[in-house]
Amino acid sequence: MPDHKDITPPELIKERGSLHPINHMKDSIMELLISFGFEIVDGPEIETEEFNFDMLNIKKSHPARQMHDTFYVENKSNLLRTHTSPVQIRGMLEKKPPLAFISGGKVYRKDDDATHLPMFHQVEGIYVDKNVNFAQLKDLIYKIIHSLFGDDVKLRFRPSYFPFTEPSAEVDILSKEGKWLEILGCGLVNPVVLENCNIDSEKYSGLAFGLGIERIAMLKHEVTDIRQFYKSNLDFLSQFK
Amino acid sequence: MKIAYRHLVQHIEECPSIEHISNKLFQLGHEHEIDGDIFDMEFTPNRGDCLSINGLLRDLAVFYTVDLNQEVFTEKLNELQLDFENLSKNTCPKISFLKLEIDQVPETYKNSLDNYFTDLGLNKNNFFTDVSNYLSYETGQPTHCYDASSMGGKLLFHEIEKNEEFETLLDKKIILKGKNSVFSLNDNIINLAGIVGGKSTSCSADTKTVIVECAFFQPEAIIGKSIKYDIQSDASHKFERGVDPECHEKVLRRFIKLVSEHANIKEMSIISYKFKDNPIHQLPVNVQKINQIIGINISEKKYLKHLSKLGFVVKEDLIKVPSFRSDIKTQNDLAEEVARAIGYDNISKLDISIPKNEKTNYKDIENKLRFFLLDHGFYEVINSPFVSLSSEEAIKVDNPLDSNREYLRTNITNSLVENLLFNERRQKDSIKLFEISDIYSSHNGINKKRMLSIIASGRVGENYKDFSKKINKKYLIMLFQEILPNEVFDFKIISRELLDTKIKNEIFTLEVDISRFSNEILSYKEVSQSPENFAKYTPISDLPSSIKDISYSIKDYSKTQELQDLLLNYQCDIIKNIYIFDYFKNEKQKEIKIGFRFIFQSNKATLNSAEIELVYNDIVSKSLNISGISIPGI
Repeated sequence: MPDHKDITPPELIKERGSLHPINHMKDSIMELLISFGFEIVDGPEIETEEFNFDMLNIKKSHPARQMHDTFYVENKSNLLRTHTSPVQIRGMLEKKPPLAFISGGKVYRKDDDATHLPMFHQVEGIYVDKNVNFAQLKDLIYKIIHSLFGDDVKLRFRPSYFPFTEPSAEVDILSKEGKWLEILGCGLVNPVVLENCNIDSEKYSGLAFGLGIERIAMLKHEVTDIRQFYKSNLDFLSQFK
Repeated sequence: MKIAYRHLVQHIEECPSIEHISNKLFQLGHEHEIDGDIFDMEFTPNRGDCLSINGLLRDLAVFYTVDLNQEVFTEKLNELQLDFENLSKNTCPKISFLKLEIDQVPETYKNSLDNYFTDLGLNKNNFFTDVSNYLSYETGQPTHCYDASSMGGKLLFHEIEKNEEFETLLDKKIILKGKNSVFSLNDNIINLAGIVGGKSTSCSADTKTVIVECAFFQPEAIIGKSIKYDIQSDASHKFERGVDPECHEKVLRRFIKLVSEHANIKEMSIISYKFKDNPIHQLPVNVQKINQIIGINISEKKYLKHLSKLGFVVKEDLIKVPSFRSDIKTQNDLAEEVARAIGYDNISKLDISIPKNEKTNYKDIENKLRFFLLDHGFYEVINSPFVSLSSEEAIKVDNPLDSNREYLRTNITNSLVENLLFNERRQKDSIKLFEISDIYSSHNGINKKRMLSIIASGRVGENYKDFSKKINKKYLIMLFQEILPNEVFDFKIISRELLDTKIKNEIFTLEVDISRFSNEILSYKEVSQSPENFAKYTPISDLPSSIKDISYSIKDYSKTQELQDLLLNYQCDIIKNIYIFDYFKNEKQKEIKIGFRFIFQSNKATLNSAEIELVYNDIVSKSLNISGISIPGI
């Protein structure tokens, strides 16, 4: 018989929990952007129309302001922010250029299906300095996308429209299946927005970009139904350790 | 919007392929899909000017030689005598009316009118409405056709602000509410301006005399109405995005031409009203500014060539913006035009270097807490803030998606209780969750707090030391003393009486303001780390699982590892998890007792006992082949 004293008990496996995959993705992107020189700013999820729309050059008649797109609270006195851009407005009002901010967090829109939810997450960035131009914006976007999806990923820039940027672009990446997938929106900060924040648009220009976290998390984790992220199912969450 | 390839290419001298045009459309920022020979276009809201054949051709002119001069009626027209008054000139600064009488309604269509219906597979309506619809497709300008025989009396354009029933030409009765711009005839509403016409004056298959209305409405007066009344019309889509205020005469003369290709016109007359001048936008030529915005070095000649192809007129160092481009107001707008012409993908990158900030200690405490909880088996969750009323201080959402969830939560705990019950229903017996979130309440204004909430119930863990221990207050207090020895946290027990569950395990919760945690926590050395990679998700099963436990007696200790290797690596499609839940070395008996838990679950169907027994028997059989091992009771 073998020596009974030599036996080691089975490995005592202590189960660790996991970060929520959306928060993990958000943190990863924020850390990447911090490494580029951006500073984090924070702001409230309940916003005013002034900061969420007016300051961002979104006209009173813009469809995004309608009750079917935006959640209003307390008899329309405030709203649930529809993007994290108002945080950047607050940042620009507080500090003088050069400035480079990122803000990340929950945003709300009146959507609910397999690819859209009324609550989702964004990370947005803004850089304002002298002579910031579109070619530099492209360089930054290439760096972000290559860090997220690898240096080999192909991307394309398409003209788009956002009231707060001009020129504006949407950026697609080419999937393994050969389909172009929209990843982020970006552009040069509209001079009207800079002036709204008391920044001399003749002297300074800026670039801005925004990423939908769920969209990127779905691609990276190969999750096809966005609602999986918010069921709090342990079988789902335990896959992302 | 659907646009047929052949309707475009017939105006392009180079006759490009559909793929070539498609690539150029993407370069211009016009998203689309191709279905056969049809482009299904999706335009950005600032480019209402592109919602037509001519609009798209105007943009494609930057790449191709295009011919936009469709034939129009060129002869002099009589002035139409119309009793019309405009009481809302700001909303409608320009409007024209054309009256036409034909001898006979055509039975078949020719040329472009016929192609429009055939190529796009559209249903015909009546002759004049069909011409109007085609003209909107060709020029981007909606027109409305009234049957002239029903138009006797005074026509008024005005704003109303009263509830009034209106029957549309689509046979739909709607109640106009709030402020609306309408046309009235003898005090009866006959047209919801820019959205849909009324039934009482609409054209029919017999209409031989028509009054065609061609107007410019301010987009602000139209936006939101189509959704409000659930009427998705081509006209509202175009007026919301802005139409060309200077196109009326050309459009109406084209209308006459199209009609004349199908019928003899007996009489025609026209009248145009201009209540306000359309502002002319001019911008100085400044190629340096354009180069600075884009980060390129384009010559002034090339820059102006791009703009002239897009319809801009340069005169004496000023760039005149065409009337159909209401979206162009600044040098940045012009820069975008040039960048589109060059192609965003053809603009070279320029190295960017953002001045580095000092590292921010952003949410260090919060992150330390997260990893501390991860180390102890807690999973992070994120919940929706929308709840039914939970507190008098809850903030009410004016327009909730779900009327049962019309408030913002004032605590996280209730969400975590829902998460716990959800997982218990999926046979989870060790549940530890946490969430960190902003919480809002309304008390003398809107208040925000950042809170940590945790919930725990069931087994401490699934390893053989924690399996038989139940989570209790003592366990949780000791856990938090590890990071904050001097703090006392108030763990609460949630009663299961009002919960829809038969499980008896106690539920412990804690909800605490993040600001309560001091820097003391920063000295905690976490074991868990952020995952380096983004794991590929494996679809999970919502079908019920089954548990089988097998306890072994091992006399020959040397076989313990062999048994573990066999069982912990046992592969089977219907086994979801295997772990050791019990281990005891009995020195007196010279025996090791070891228990393995097998969790069975399929992704395809609920497992029956025979399927489980088959695998179970295989496990038993293979494990008993190891000498010195037995299963008490077998």
